[in-house]
Amino acid sequence: MKRTYIPKLDDILGGGIIDNASVMFSAVPGVDYEAFGYQMLNGRLKDGDKGFIFTNVAEPETIVYEFRSYGWDLEKFLQDGQAFFVDGTSPFMGLPSDAKYSIKDYSQVEEAIMEAIEDVPDGIGVINNLSTLIDYLGEDETIDIIKKWNLHGKKYNTSLVYLFTKWDYNSNLIQNLKKSMDCVVEIKTIEERVIIGQGFMVAHSSWSEPSDTMVLFFVVQPGGVKVYIPKILVTGPYNAGKSTFVKKISKKSVSVDRKALSAFPTTIALDIGHLEYKGFVADVFGTPGQERFDLLLDVLGKESVGAFIIVDSTAPQTFARAKEMIRKTKAEAIPKVLVANKQDLPGALSPEEIREKMKVGKDIPIIPAIVTEGRGVTDALEALLGLIYGD
Amino acid sequence: MISVMFMEDHNMEFFDYLFEDAAPGDLILVYGPPKVGKSIFCYQFLYSSLVGGEPCLYIVADYGSRQLEQRMMEFNWFLRPYIQNGDVYIIDLLTRLAGVKVEDSGTLKFSSVQNLTDLMVKVGVSTRSLFRKSSKFRAILDSLTVIFAFNPPNLVLRLLKAYKARISEARGIGVVVHTTGTVEPSIENSLMELADLKLCFDGEKIQAESSAGEKFVQYTITDKGVKNIRG
Repeated sequence: MKRTYIPKLDDILGGGIIDNASVMFSAVPGVDYEAFGYQMLNGRLKDGDKGFIFTNVAEPETIVYEFRSYGWDLEKFLQDGQAFFVDGTSPFMGLPSDAKYSIKDYSQVEEAIMEAIEDVPDGIGVINNLSTLIDYLGEDETIDIIKKWNLHGKKYNTSLVYLFTKWDYNSNLIQNLKKSMDCVVEIKTIEERVIIGQGFMVAHSSWSEPSDTMVLFFVVQPGGVKVYIPKILVTGPYNAGKSTFVKKISKKSVSVDRKALSAFPTTIALDIGHLEYKGFVADVFGTPGQERFDLLLDVLGKESVGAFIIVDSTAPQTFARAKEMIRKTKAEAIPKVLVANKQDLPGALSPEEIREKMKVGKDIPIIPAIVTEGRGVTDALEALLGLIYGD
Repeated sequence: MISVMFMEDHNMEFFDYLFEDAAPGDLILVYGPPKVGKSIFCYQFLYSSLVGGEPCLYIVADYGSRQLEQRMMEFNWFLRPYIQNGDVYIIDLLTRLAGVKVEDSGTLKFSSVQNLTDLMVKVGVSTRSLFRKSSKFRAILDSLTVIFAFNPPNLVLRLLKAYKARISEARGIGVVVHTTGTVEPSIENSLMELADLKLCFDGEKIQAESSAGEKFVQYTITDKGVKNIRG
């Protein structure tokens, strides 16, 4: 097995990738994912393996610069002959190329990469970008060539890493691409009108049975791909049941308000929890309901990837305040679920009555709940994860 | 309707007339032969957006970001204060290609005409940033000419679909500039089909076409930008 050097990915894949694996990182447009291929290459080069990059998206000098911005010294490996480029960019831009292989016409690409694979036995090749190849060569020809490259990779024990941007290709093509690979890692966005986060999950692996966990990440320079624990926001009017909800949903939780008051007389008031559910890990922040704490809402809302809006189903007079809190936490721009709490109390409005009174669109799930008894809590979490995962 | 009435003394009422059928989320295609004022129109659209308090994304593909500032200065439209305030987000596709060593800064990002994946990453980051600043914003891509020159045309169409979806989802207004005759007619037709509003510049009149119908205005270029010639 070989390491991928992508945090968490080796664990999900059962220790890494098989030596001669073909791996495709498949990303929706807008996701920053080139670093996945580059990080794998850099790690393998540092381990002493040989490697190459086929590029049709940027000239080699720009890629060397990108590596440098991540804190990785590709230039050294190029000078040592441990790494080289298959340059499918410079000749098309009218620029000179001193790459080991230089593609002047796309009819040369198949052979050039076959030779490059032979040059890096037991090593790694990164193909950036598969999508551009498809639009130059056509769908059928690209699939044929990939199959040949992957067979050649097997023969020379070379790992091949493909970067694929999932533009509006037909589903048959995407299925055929996936079938041609040993492993497919899907890279997705978390979005609500705009992209607010990105995560990866293994869609397929021929040597292991990966979990369907989505790992959230960001790309930093220097550093590359870093995974992080996302924040989930719990907000709503005063006395709606937020603290209880945070406690019920979390594996561990603490109310900073109460802790702070007992140890130190200040008015910080947050419920903080940590949830782990079906592989999804997040920190949970419950905001104070009182207006005097509204300054905190913007700060907490900014970095959250999802929100629970808790309302007291018996108190329609607080719904306007709930909407105000959604606006103040910027929760209108993150996936969110409305939790209609206190359904056991007399006069509780049904989810549909609440939807009508609050004028909430059908795209926002409203989950009936009795949080004190834990009822509806898991349903709310499932609904939010469904929105975040985009399923 | 999109308003461009923020700039005083610029005889801009005709812009409102042209845009009255456009709505947030729409993609506007500005097209025509070279040297008829398409880019000047974009500068005017950008500047009116900023003066009116709407932040803007500007993708410069045919020249560098410095040239954008210089060209706008010729019309006394000064971009610098808005750059410093973070009201305008610029993606520059050409400067690095010219061999200039430049670093990304807060709202000035560099990409490459061939790396459409990276361009969409930066569009995603910028729309998030602009959306957080204001629920109304504009995004201008000036122009497709060089992008078409260095990429398979079908890939450029795919980019445009993704670009339109991204801007539309955030309820921004997207403008894309295209010089006619630089691609095959079939690709040009596909471009037209993507647009909600088409503005055709021919050097004398601007023809607006949308699902609501067609209309036109006579125009000329002055030191105050694109100006209506009143009939």
